[in-house]
Amino acid sequence: MWSLKKSVWVFHVNTGACNNCDIEIVDCLTPKFDIERLGIKLVGSPRHADALLVTGGVTAQAAPRLREVYRQTPKPCIVFAIGACACDKGIFTTGYHMVGPVDKIIKEVDPNAIIAYVPGCPPKPEAIISGVLKALAVL
Amino acid sequence: MNQQELNNKLSQIKAQLISIEQTADNRIYLSCEARNAYAVNKFLFEDVPLRFVIATGIDSDDCFEVIYHYAYDEIGCIINLKVFIRDRENPQLESIAPFLPAAEWIEREIHDLLGIDFKNHPNMRRLILADDWPQGVYPMRKEMDAKIARGWTCETSSRPAPESPARRTVPLGKPILPVGPFHPLQEEMEFFQLTTDGEIVTDIDMRISYNHRGIEKISESLQFDQVPYLVSRICGICSASHPTAYVNAVEEIAGVTPPDRARYVRTIICELERIHSHLLWVGLAGHFIGYDTVFMWAWKYREPVLDLLEEITGNRNNYGNVKVGGCREDIPDEIVPKMLKDLDEVEKKTEMLTKAVLDDPVLHARLKGVGTLSKEDAIRYAVTGPTARGSGIAIDVRRDDPYAAYADLDWNVIVQEQGDVFAKAVVRLLETLESVKMTKEAVQKLPKGPIAIEVKEIPPGEGCGHGEAPRGETFHYVRSDGGNRPIRHKVRAPSFVNVPSFRASCIGQHIADVTITLAAVDPCYSCTERLAVVDAHGNIVRDYEMLLQASRDKTAQMQKELGWPGLKLEDLQIG
Ligand code: SF4
Repeated sequence: MWSLKKSVWVFHVNTGACNNCDIEIVDCLTPKFDIERLGIKLVGSPRHADALLVTGGVTAQAAPRLREVYRQTPKPCIVFAIGACACDKGIFTTGYHMVGPVDKIIKEVDPNAIIAYVPGCPPKPEAIISGVLKALAVL
Repeated sequence: MNQQELNNKLSQIKAQLISIEQTADNRIYLSCEARNAYAVNKFLFEDVPLRFVIATGIDSDDCFEVIYHYAYDEIGCIINLKVFIRDRENPQLESIAPFLPAAEWIEREIHDLLGIDFKNHPNMRRLILADDWPQGVYPMRKEMDAKIARGWTCETSSRPAPESPARRTVPLGKPILPVGPFHPLQEEMEFFQLTTDGEIVTDIDMRISYNHRGIEKISESLQFDQVPYLVSRICGICSASHPTAYVNAVEEIAGVTPPDRARYVRTIICELERIHSHLLWVGLAGHFIGYDTVFMWAWKYREPVLDLLEEITGNRNNYGNVKVGGCREDIPDEIVPKMLKDLDEVEKKTEMLTKAVLDDPVLHARLKGVGTLSKEDAIRYAVTGPTARGSGIAIDVRRDDPYAAYADLDWNVIVQEQGDVFAKAVVRLLETLESVKMTKEAVQKLPKGPIAIEVKEIPPGEGCGHGEAPRGETFHYVRSDGGNRPIRHKVRAPSFVNVPSFRASCIGQHIADVTITLAAVDPCYSCTERLAVVDAHGNIVRDYEMLLQASRDKTAQMQKELGWPGLKLEDLQIG
């Protein structure tokens, strides 16, 4: 686990988000927040990632893709549920096309998965950064 | 054509209609039987001619209704054609997609959600529901209401999924290039499958559904006052435009006008949204062609705008600031000086970016003539927003059918004729400057008074509201039965019509130009981040990184050919 604590590489998965959580994640990269200074880096493939940043409440069409992405991520890895949707489907709870939330889908693949939650709609970049760092601290 | 002439024109098809009704100055409702629908639609689109907006499918108790919404932008009039399908057992309509490609997606959507068959549709495959959604279950039909309320989801259903592939099959031996699937807009999260011949794209197919959350259905379970919070979460970055269009529709039903101050506050929020959205786009476009500095800078300049929005509404995005009858949060007078100062700063930076783009010979060479959408195609695909204005179609809801305070302000609609990526970039950059100007004027003119009036009841009726979101027209149709919830709420986000136009703009393009052509419509960024070229045996021969690299290499190559050292922001005057 200690290997995860420094310089976490993250892969971003959108499973039916409204786009805001995603924009705030990308925002973390840009000059005002600049998470790369903390060693956190967005990567283009789950196979390179130490952590998944999952947004959205998981639609029926996205669920199989999320499972697949989780399978492809090297273990051990951490799953971050970013935003109210990812944590518990948020405002879309009653939608007929929603099969999430994220922890339910991930636990179908791996009941022992490590999942951290960052609530907010959308969580501010500061909240995302602090959530990631707090989770790393307790590992 | 003025209203009178339009009415005369419409009365030419009187014989085929059941009724013509004018509910307001610029809202006309026509109705006809299913057998006449094709002819009337053809007349409306080709002979009047009107711009196709969207169609709404409704399960009314004794029949199905499909409402085709059209707009006549010259006078900002919305014309709705209601078609009644009386045969509930076997609902059928003649497809209008053969002469109106813009209707292709919505007919597929109505087929998915309501089970109405469209005869002679060129491409009737599943669009909006998941691949494993059970066959014959139509979520927008009334009989599903009780089941969905009890927690039915497609995963708990035992009915089998259909066998027909939702993706188009490509003959073996042709290289295909899948793009996607993840992409975060309302119904517009996409998977693109590009068929290529060498380096040239020969066909493009799209699959959406990944982001379908069933918002229209959820909306029917919320009260009129709760819906704005839901619709601002359709697309995070249009989170002011959607609720504004929705309240426009509801206010039309209720026959109320919000107080002056509320109109101005709405305008200011909508324009701030446009500024940060366009800056976001400029950054991403820079990233796709290898100008990462532009990406970082544009996103940095966007931050003060988000801070202003947070100061006014309490959130950086998803403002939830409009409600039926006015606004929720006021703009405190104390922050006006700070707003003006910050806006000056944003204006300076945007001018700098605009100048950098317009003066850079590499960008001219790289983006001109790339991904061109001709004016004819723009009309056939009924595109809106900067995508339309970049192709020489001067439409803008803010001017054509003014809402909020747009009619009181002094601003210009930016139009470019060429239709290529460069034209769209110019439209967005100049538009950002117009928005800054407009916001400053609105802040200075901000009238005194209350920001909301109380609206107690929404009477039975129907209303159409639209608004100009950063990406184009967002359209909301709301029907009320006098209760406290909408009985039907249809949403059309601009990308729903802009994205299908890729068929016209991408075919014949170089693979290296695809990322930027797709991005030029500003569908959102995620789709282009998950992208791979697969050969006919399913082997990945190129992934997103390599395609991005191809795009960037092309820019670098041109820089070399032009003897241009590259864009150096340090050299530019930065305030
Ligand atoms: S949590 Fe809120 S901001 Fe994030 S995806 Fe869901 S609705 Fe959008």
